[in-house]
Amino acid sequence: MNDPYQTLGVAKTASADEIRKAYRKLAKQLHPDLNPGDKKAEEKFKEVAAANDLLSDPEKRRRFDAGEIDASGAETAPPHARYYRDYAAEGGHPYEGREAYGDFAQGDDLFADLMRRAAEQARRRPGADLHYELPVDFLDAVNGATKTITLPQGGTLNVTIPAGVEDGQTLRLRGKGAPSPGEGPPGDALVQIAVRPHRYFTREGRDILLDLPITMKEAALGAEVKAPTTTGSVMLKIPKRSSTGDMLRLRGKGVKARGGAGDELVKLKVVMPKEAEPELEAFLAGWNPAANFDPRKEM
Amino acid sequence: MITEREFLERARLDRRTLEVWIEEEWLIPGGSAGEPAFTDMDLARAGLIHDLQDKMGVNDAGLGVVLHLLDQMHALRRALAAALESAHDRGPPPGG
Repeated sequence: MNDPYQTLGVAKTASADEIRKAYRKLAKQLHPDLNPGDKKAEEKFKEVAAANDLLSDPEKRRRFDAGEIDASGAETAPPHARYYRDYAAEGGHPYEGREAYGDFAQGDDLFADLMRRAAEQARRRPGADLHYELPVDFLDAVNGATKTITLPQGGTLNVTIPAGVEDGQTLRLRGKGAPSPGEGPPGDALVQIAVRPHRYFTREGRDILLDLPITMKEAALGAEVKAPTTTGSVMLKIPKRSSTGDMLRLRGKGVKARGGAGDELVKLKVVMPKEAEPELEAFLAGWNPAANFDPRKEM
Repeated sequence: MITEREFLERARLDRRTLEVWIEEEWLIPGGSAGEPAFTDMDLARAGLIHDLQDKMGVNDAGLGVVLHLLDQMHALRRALAAALESAHDRGPPPGG
């Protein structure tokens, strides 16, 4: 970090007014937007701005002179994240000076020809792509749906959500972006999908995962229970002697995708009743498991 | 897209000043008159206007001139870049 007095080109004894004048002069020379082709301008401008921040604040200047802070100690955040020149270099925006080179394009020499082509290119430039984010319910993402986005600049946009769309996926709606500043085609709308989590379904690729609570009796004796799928409930056969963690597969009940639908994987979870069950407790107290069954034998 | 409210906050502007800037065409937001929509570019341009006013002491009359010339310069730079690119694609001119 250079000496801020040197950076601004002023004496150590310079008055506040001299500092202000020196800074303004340098800012006019170095501001990145006034030097779009000079990559170093930004760096130099920041240095000058930092020096000015330090020396234009009497307290900071006093502390710097007293050696309490160094020149970088006073550096503030850069004034802009991006300068105007970074955008203006792109074109396709309302600030274009369109007629700035009209006279060059009049003749029939090579340069005029090139200028006309450049102008033609600018005129045919498509509009900008516009980005949106669309939160989608879990089931709409699995089954597909049509949603309407209300645009910040007015109007609406209908988005057809294809079945099986994934969280973070971006849908491109051709021609639904910003209009061309000239006579080119409009840009596209890019809609990023954010899938909301579901109360009990989760998803892994094409498969739908579900934890299904069952009673001890259903687990022991087997049963037919109603199990939710993403397209409505189905009857699911629980085999006799099922345990927590056993996985049952509902074929074709997963996410429909190109190349076939996935499955729904139902993981059983035996749940004890919350209320006291004296009869059950009495029975279990007097019950001896057959064939000295030990579920922890392998541990 | 940035709403008017967010823009005022991020560009550190009050509504009246913004109205003047739009009237003067220093800023040209998209959207409709009742519900203007701003871009990151508009935000950077507002930052430039602040710099010109506060850091360089450009007054209101000069500001419009500066912005207009800056925009023309950017258009020329783009045209020149496109022309050079196009010349490059076509190879050297005959006899040149």
